[in-house]
Amino acid sequence: MQASELYGRQLALTPLEAQDLPAATQKFVALRVTANRLQCQRCGSVLNRQAAQLPRDQFYCYDCLNLGRVSTLTSLYHISEPNDFPKVDQLTWQGQLTDQQASCAAMIQTKFEAHQRQLLWAVTGAGKTEMLFPGLAWALAQGWRVAIASPRVDVCLELHPRLQAAFANLEIALLHGRQITPYRYCQLTICTTHQLLRFRAAFDVLIVDEVDAFPFAANPRLGYAVEQALKPVSALLYLTATPSQDLLRQVRQHELGLSYLPLRFHQQLLPPIRVTLQPRYWERLKKGKLPWPLRPWLADYANRGQRFLIFVPRVAQLAVVQAAIQQVYPGLKGLTVHASDPERLAKVQAMRNLDVQYLVTTTILERGVTFPGIDVIVLGADDPIFSTAALVQIAGRVGRSKARPTGLVRFICRSYARPVKRAIRQIKLVNRKGRRLRAEMPVVSPLE
Amino acid sequence: MLKCLLCHRSSEPKLRLPWVLSWQPLERPVVCQACWQTFTPIMTSQACPSCGRAQTQRSLCHDCQRWPQQAFYNQALFTYNEAMQAYFEQYKFKGDYRLRAVFRAVLMARLASLQPAIVVPIPVTANTMVTRGFNQVTGWLSDGENSGWLKTKHQTKAVPQSQKKRQARLLTPQPFELTGAGPDLTAKTVVLVDDVYTTGRTIRHAADLILENGAKSVIGLTLAR
Repeated sequence: MQASELYGRQLALTPLEAQDLPAATQKFVALRVTANRLQCQRCGSVLNRQAAQLPRDQFYCYDCLNLGRVSTLTSLYHISEPNDFPKVDQLTWQGQLTDQQASCAAMIQTKFEAHQRQLLWAVTGAGKTEMLFPGLAWALAQGWRVAIASPRVDVCLELHPRLQAAFANLEIALLHGRQITPYRYCQLTICTTHQLLRFRAAFDVLIVDEVDAFPFAANPRLGYAVEQALKPVSALLYLTATPSQDLLRQVRQHELGLSYLPLRFHQQLLPPIRVTLQPRYWERLKKGKLPWPLRPWLADYANRGQRFLIFVPRVAQLAVVQAAIQQVYPGLKGLTVHASDPERLAKVQAMRNLDVQYLVTTTILERGVTFPGIDVIVLGADDPIFSTAALVQIAGRVGRSKARPTGLVRFICRSYARPVKRAIRQIKLVNRKGRRLRAEMPVVSPLE
Repeated sequence: MLKCLLCHRSSEPKLRLPWVLSWQPLERPVVCQACWQTFTPIMTSQACPSCGRAQTQRSLCHDCQRWPQQAFYNQALFTYNEAMQAYFEQYKFKGDYRLRAVFRAVLMARLASLQPAIVVPIPVTANTMVTRGFNQVTGWLSDGENSGWLKTKHQTKAVPQSQKKRQARLLTPQPFELTGAGPDLTAKTVVLVDDVYTTGRTIRHAADLILENGAKSVIGLTLAR
């Protein structure tokens, strides 16, 4: 194994695999076992002694198994990060930022320079990636090691070509669970947040995109991964459109700085959420009837040819809703999509191509897709499956085109559940900020 | 809240009145119904009597016609399908020892029905014990049961069986040996337990060794075929 493969990394190896490592290699305990506590030193999980048990009084970590097993039979091997990079300006991107984006980008760079932690709350469709370029270019020119991590593989896969185009002469490593190409030591790494568990004190700058997405939000190990992968003196930037309660708490406790980008790239506000309470919507749908107010809405859509998405909480409900719509409006053409649908991509493409007027879908289409000029209806928005972040993201599907920057976001619920209220409040808050911004045009304001 | 060991989705067992009135502890299945149904059980009445392969009727399969007749036959519980392959990938090769619980109950039940005098799991090499940390077969049996008198001759396997082609597998020389410390095998029925019966080479080597040492018959019991 080459020394550079261990720079800033921590690899779990058995004694057999670790036979001829470079001399500078440090060795750490992989699983700390004490009388009443068992903790994986890679992912930080405190383990259940019974579940983690192997024969002969050995233990393994069942939480980060997919990255290669950590056990008492292995150790973690690491070489401290030497920052072995040329200090040159790598940016080949020629594009232009809007005034707001530019000031936001400048702010990001100052935070990098000052080694600070920052949360950038930019609404869905604000153009976040481009704003990173100046700061990234500066950090790379310092010879810093930089990583961009995201909980979602699709986000990483989409980011990689965009960054490769912006830094054409730089080698960028792309790491995720399903890839086959072997690891290479690169100055800029794009990876899933899980992959960060393989790094130790490696990065001077770490950017976490879509922090609110599953599984980062639900998984305390990944927060631990971020801390491990950062150098003691380093800058951290979280990007999100829907910060979690926990992130906002960190902001209140001054562990994180906060800045807003409340306007979309076309300078418009987010469409507000409109809620209609309908306690018996599901009973009606099960009978094959369309409940009020779904019926007049769909009548209007059928008349005007307006395209729309309907979100439902569960896969099993897709067919029911679809059947009810077909029965009442046989002329409306639509499809149903869910995560394990084999024709998922083809169906989404059909919607993009304007072949169908609507999709009935589960939360899989909550982020990462753009259908220009659509409206959105969420059935049962009070279902526990819809988190605040999911609801705000769903609302963010609307009004993403310059041609139709507005649209309707309508929820049908049995009650005002807490996530629904929070989502409404979040959108109101950023819209208030956006309105102020448009009125005064002093660009991105750090939190008071 | 119960989590399925295979798909990690949580499932709530339904509380039924007969159970409430029975005062029995709640049964806690380790895998969910949907995952369990991806495995295909083999009916003994519709399997090869010699190797346990699933067939349409009970007759010697074309592979077994080529093996010499012995006082040995094999039974398998499940067909080796995609789900089983995924299970072995996670359990054996990724090393998730918790997954031993998935098949423990069915394997122990079948073992009990065979009423063996002696049960022997197929051993793993010393090196596997150092890297994997467990014997995948012993995991299914009651914890820690390992006779130790059936041993592998070598510390390591040059090439794992799972990476060989059929011909290369069949040419594998006897990998096992008996240590002197074992029980008396004379006129006894011994059950050999292994994970997968593919060509039968491994388990038949072990069976040969045990038959040579005086056992009356050997029954193979494998999870998959």
